[in-house]
Amino acid sequence: MAVTRVKPSAMARHEARLAKIYLIPAFLGLTFLTYLPLLSVFVLSLFKWTAIMPKPLYIGFNNYIRLFTKDMFFWTSMRVTIIYALLTVVGSVLYSLAVAMLLNRSIRGRGLFRAIFYVPYIIPAMAIYMIWGLLYNKDFGVINALLVQLGQPRAGFLIDSKYIIPSLALIAVWTSGNLIVIFLAGLGSVPRVYHEAAEIDGATFWKRFVHITLPFMSPIIFYNVLLSLIANMQVVVPSLIYAGSNRTTYPEYTFMSFLMYRTGFINNELSYASAISFVFFVLIGLFTLVLFKGSKNILFYESGGN
Amino acid sequence: MKGIRNILALALAAVLLLSTLGLAAFANERVTITYSMWGDNEEVRVLQETIDKFEQEQDRIHVEIVQIDRADYVGTLNTRAVGNNLPDTGIMAEDAVLMWAEQGMLADVSNMYGEGEAKPLDSLAFTFDGKPVGYSVANEVLLLYYDRQAFVEAGVTPPPAKAEEAWDWDTFVDIAKQMTLDVNGNNAKSPDFDPNNIKRYGVMLCPDFWQLEVWSVSNGGAWYDAEGNVTIGEPAAMEALQRIADLYLVHHVAPQYGTNTATNVDQDLVNKSTAMYVNGQWSVGVWLGPAKNSDGLDYGVGVLPYMKDKVTLNTGGVNVAFATSKHPAEAMEWLKWYAREENAWGLIEGGIWMPVLSSYYTDEALTRKWVENPNFPPYDEYKTAVVDYAFNNAKPTSWYWVNNTNLFNDALSSILAPAWSGNTTVAEAITAHLDQLKAANQGN
Repeated sequence: MAVTRVKPSAMARHEARLAKIYLIPAFLGLTFLTYLPLLSVFVLSLFKWTAIMPKPLYIGFNNYIRLFTKDMFFWTSMRVTIIYALLTVVGSVLYSLAVAMLLNRSIRGRGLFRAIFYVPYIIPAMAIYMIWGLLYNKDFGVINALLVQLGQPRAGFLIDSKYIIPSLALIAVWTSGNLIVIFLAGLGSVPRVYHEAAEIDGATFWKRFVHITLPFMSPIIFYNVLLSLIANMQVVVPSLIYAGSNRTTYPEYTFMSFLMYRTGFINNELSYASAISFVFFVLIGLFTLVLFKGSKNILFYESGGN
Repeated sequence: MKGIRNILALALAAVLLLSTLGLAAFANERVTITYSMWGDNEEVRVLQETIDKFEQEQDRIHVEIVQIDRADYVGTLNTRAVGNNLPDTGIMAEDAVLMWAEQGMLADVSNMYGEGEAKPLDSLAFTFDGKPVGYSVANEVLLLYYDRQAFVEAGVTPPPAKAEEAWDWDTFVDIAKQMTLDVNGNNAKSPDFDPNNIKRYGVMLCPDFWQLEVWSVSNGGAWYDAEGNVTIGEPAAMEALQRIADLYLVHHVAPQYGTNTATNVDQDLVNKSTAMYVNGQWSVGVWLGPAKNSDGLDYGVGVLPYMKDKVTLNTGGVNVAFATSKHPAEAMEWLKWYAREENAWGLIEGGIWMPVLSSYYTDEALTRKWVENPNFPPYDEYKTAVVDYAFNNAKPTSWYWVNNTNLFNDALSSILAPAWSGNTTVAEAITAHLDQLKAANQGN
């Protein structure tokens, strides 16, 4: 069957042209600030080059071979980054959703509580990690003092390979005030009528949460999971503060971003660091893809679209 | 309209012409060179005063400061190298000097000092291919600081200030046990001692990883031989590091190595969370002197305990001239002038830097000029524990002649993590990963 194309009106054509013009700045920005640098990172990763070498030397995929077969930090780095990101994402989404639901109720001093839970997000990271460092200190920290009072053995939260990642994840969860704000906005948009109707029918809190709140919130939860995953895969601050360069570094602090930074900017191997960052980029891309594919059937949009 | 344009164009051309002429005239008289440094605004202010003095003494060279954050220092220089925008001269991180020398980025400074001129100590020259590529701007050695009051209260002899009286390792561990207290006031030699509830440790070690090398050297071993080959797999080098791990694991006189993540030597001594602390001489100027003045900290300084040889390590940030400089002669003239003690006196007097010229170690008048000031411990103590110790017992840290020490230290530090917590021994950890350490030493 032949399809007759409807000729767009002059008005529509004019609008389309205008839209294209308006898109030029964004397109230029993306091209020159994102796609071309990405491409050049990949090209650079095929060379051997320190910034202070006179000329880059083409070595094909040798940087990648070295990374996957010889590098003593790479696999540890992958492992700790992924575990940290998963713990942090699950932890901060659950925590933020719970706090947001509490803050969404009509309680006295709601504004104050909202501010209090948001504050950790805006405190400078340096201060946060220094203070948690003191709390976590094995010998003189408050948490260990409490453990001893309870008759438990001391725990090296920041120096025992069992505890490092969960301890760091807890700090990240504590600072997830931005997710709370987004959840609060989402909760405000869940129509009251459904809740009221369900309440009249005698539905428990849990039932209303599962059948009303959760479906309405699913796109926002998805957005927060995505945001949190991408941000937390790129974790670097705890490594810089607790490990740093030329300090004693426990392997659990070798997050991908830190490995990239240390390789490129402390150890001068810019092209090798490019290979690391390209692999890292692909990894984050894969995680995002899985998240998008996997969430297709569980997202609910009120308008019925998908 | 056209008239205005013509006038504008003419004016622009005139400005361009004049500024070019002006620059040319200026360049004939005076050369501007740049000097990059890390440090806070206070250090920039002190340096600017020094530069003003330099410019008063001569009028051919003008020096401009390039201030770079310490944490990003080498990274920033890298970026500038890519942009072909390196400064003429600058201070350089110790662990990056040989890498830059290997790439031909540093000027050969072997002719900087003429025959018979007062030169820095030999141990302070960074060498590549047998040629000096830079001298440390300051000397620094590792020392044993202690809380004098704590030793008086415990009735225990404090660390000796003379190298010849240095404690052997067993004596040191024994003293550290006497100075380690649990929350009930029992020391680590008491049968009632509770290692799970320690109030004050006998000793803490600065977590700057490179400092650990001193113990291997003290035990008659080394991390590298004279040619820069890895020798850390030999028993003496590994045994020394196991002894460090055992301070925590066996004797309970120190926290697990690398743990004091949020504190510094002054805080730990002021808070009385340790009786002794191993760290570099700069601690006097950066932390201990200020803590003495503000918190009344009565600290003392002694020589390190020894295993086989009475030895400490020396190091110090390096002043280099970059090979890309268009004014190498002027660059070296500035560096040489700046290296003279009187021109960095603020830092020396404050206790942050030790002098580099040997006369300050051998001529008592000069030593007194340097040491007799309120930031320092008493003269007699500092003279033998620091001045004589640095002159007679110091060996250079390996980055004075070995490349890729940063890669090696990253690897070793990671490899040893399970040894500090007792999940493996130092010897097992190093032996199992010796190939990786050797690869790191080769830059891979």
